[in-house]
Amino acid sequence: MKTIYLDNNATTAVAPEVTAALAPFLADQYFNPSSAYDQARQVSAALQTARHELAVLLGGVTPDQLTFTSGATESNNWAIGGVVRAQPQRRHIVTTAVEHPAVFEVCKELARQGCDVTFLPVDRSGQLDRDAYVRALRPDTLLVTIMLANNETGVLFPVAELARIAHETNPAIIFHTDATQAIGKLPLDLTGEFEHVDLLSLSGHKIHAPKGVGALYAKRGTPLRPLIIGGHQENGRRAGTENVPFIVALGRAARLAADHLAGVDQIRQLRDRLEDAVVRTIPYLEVNGHGAPRLPNTLNLSCHYIEGESILYQLNEHGICASSGSACTSGSLEPSHVLKAMHVPFTAMHGSVRFSLSRYTTAAEVDRVIEVFPEVVASLRRISPYWDAARNAPRPTAPQESPAQPTNH
Amino acid sequence: MAWEYSEKTRQIFMDAVHGKPGTHMGEIEKPDGFGEHGSIVCGDALRFTFRVRQHATDPLQDVITEARYLTFGCTSAIAASEALCTIIEHGQYTPIQALKVTNQDIVRFLEGLPAQKIHCSVMGAEALESAVFNWAQKRGVDLALAGVQLQTKGEDEGRIVCKCFSVTEPYIRRKIKELNLRTIPDITNAIKAGGACASCHHAPGGLQDLLDEAWGRQPAAGGPPPPVVPRTETPAGASSFQRFKQIEQVIAQSVRPALQHDGGDIEVVDIKDNLVYCRLSGACAGCMGAQATLKMMVERTLKEEVSEQLRVIAV
Repeated sequence: MKTIYLDNNATTAVAPEVTAALAPFLADQYFNPSSAYDQARQVSAALQTARHELAVLLGGVTPDQLTFTSGATESNNWAIGGVVRAQPQRRHIVTTAVEHPAVFEVCKELARQGCDVTFLPVDRSGQLDRDAYVRALRPDTLLVTIMLANNETGVLFPVAELARIAHETNPAIIFHTDATQAIGKLPLDLTGEFEHVDLLSLSGHKIHAPKGVGALYAKRGTPLRPLIIGGHQENGRRAGTENVPFIVALGRAARLAADHLAGVDQIRQLRDRLEDAVVRTIPYLEVNGHGAPRLPNTLNLSCHYIEGESILYQLNEHGICASSGSACTSGSLEPSHVLKAMHVPFTAMHGSVRFSLSRYTTAAEVDRVIEVFPEVVASLRRISPYWDAARNAPRPTAPQESPAQPTNH
Repeated sequence: MAWEYSEKTRQIFMDAVHGKPGTHMGEIEKPDGFGEHGSIVCGDALRFTFRVRQHATDPLQDVITEARYLTFGCTSAIAASEALCTIIEHGQYTPIQALKVTNQDIVRFLEGLPAQKIHCSVMGAEALESAVFNWAQKRGVDLALAGVQLQTKGEDEGRIVCKCFSVTEPYIRRKIKELNLRTIPDITNAIKAGGACASCHHAPGGLQDLLDEAWGRQPAAGGPPPPVVPRTETPAGASSFQRFKQIEQVIAQSVRPALQHDGGDIEVVDIKDNLVYCRLSGACAGCMGAQATLKMMVERTLKEEVSEQLRVIAV
């Protein structure tokens, strides 16, 4: 059976061009870029090329403001922890209730260590209340860390505006954004629209580079202590011999991403085609993030009265790979903190499915999902104690979020 | 976390959702026994019904002939429900004999379940038990006289230890012993208690205390860090009341009328010290010059009429 891969917010296929670019550095170009001899110079030049390629994707920032890391989780840990360690006297952090765990858990850990953290709520469509954000800023606010695009729902936060407001409030406030899901899907100009962003995390494996490589952009002059020490690499900002093959891969992937930015509209059209079809055919279906600006590739659905893991299992029987925010897929017993923060009705909370597309997704693949998905939902509703299969509606006795109403958008 | 289900579990699940002949999805009308366990809030729920061949004189000799289920839940919850019905029908049990079917029997039938899915099998055993109680009530059988220990009586009213999944203290105490649960993860895997916010793990009277009472205190292991409950309210910044009134007044008397003249409006979102956060609405909002309008006109007016130090921030 052919794999239909619609889980690109989890990870992406490595682009063939990227594999080709990194291969020499797993073969004869093995030299340590810090070594003195001629052979090493080619390797260190490759690092600088990669840095330059990534800088171009971010709007042509000066490349030395980019430091390569092992991925966005390290970048986030470093950015948030490094800012706090640089100015231990300022203790207030502003973030949101829907951040990726690599930010959310770091902020919770800092709260345990005595920082004062404000977790901003979101509304039913996943958007921030801008007034609440303004009111959260304080004289002792050290750091704002707010993601650009939500990994689960694709909902976008107006980060350029939020960063400007932070800096106009107090230029000493440091603004960090986790841009992992936004990179390559939206134009991101750190010298223009996003000039007020001080720190930005990204990951290679969401843009068709391998897992295990990422970067942190740190605007020159941002007070930031290193996370990993013990070497002069990356200008002393991140010790350890550079992961040359994967850094080269990230550079090549960034160049490809820049080339393909104009093509994201095609991804959006496929996503919209999927969304329109399932909304039309499946009753009691929520589109999480509906009404908010969203990434072009992400569709997060919640099916009332069924559970997400059993949906995924059946989809997988058709070769379709997707993911879910249900408790049963997370390894914990709690459904997604993002969907909870959005107040998704409890009857739909466990029935979420996320489809995330890439530039490799084809119309035929989307059409296959349109064919299969409604039947998967129907089969699980037949088995659900809350659903009346004959009427194709919830049983009158089924629990409902009040006020009771069908929620088909 | 990739799926770690046995082939048997996978097969039973797929047969069940496709309604293969011989599977047990459904609900018996006017059943002789009706039981439920779980809820939609907790992420899985099972409705279990059975029919008996009634004995003419002695209800204790009723034999279960048919069992059906409806399940809201994951792959293993559905497979466990199907397994339960198969075991019960196959065994030709009286309802009281059926009570001897445990969650371990379901796990064995499924050829194993991942540790974090054990609660799916427990759900099956619990629904079976409540269906047998329902049968006893309908048939006028005194279970105590029939030698059944009514352990669950009153458990629903006990102190709730795990608030996330509404699990009571008497129930946890019984399950610790019955299922030989030795650690907090054991409890969570079996009956979900403690699986969400974790605040009941080490609280007084919490899961660890109940384990210690059941098995004796264990040498202290470095427990998990205390949970942090995210705070979502936002503290209002301290604003000088007098200054605030003054700014409001100037905006009401000078700024707003000028903007309204052009079909727009202004809203003050917040004032912190010398910073005035404003939102333009109406005709001005989409206007390219909105930012400049605010900066120049509003800020100048406020500087002149209130304080030279005021700055305006567009929100």
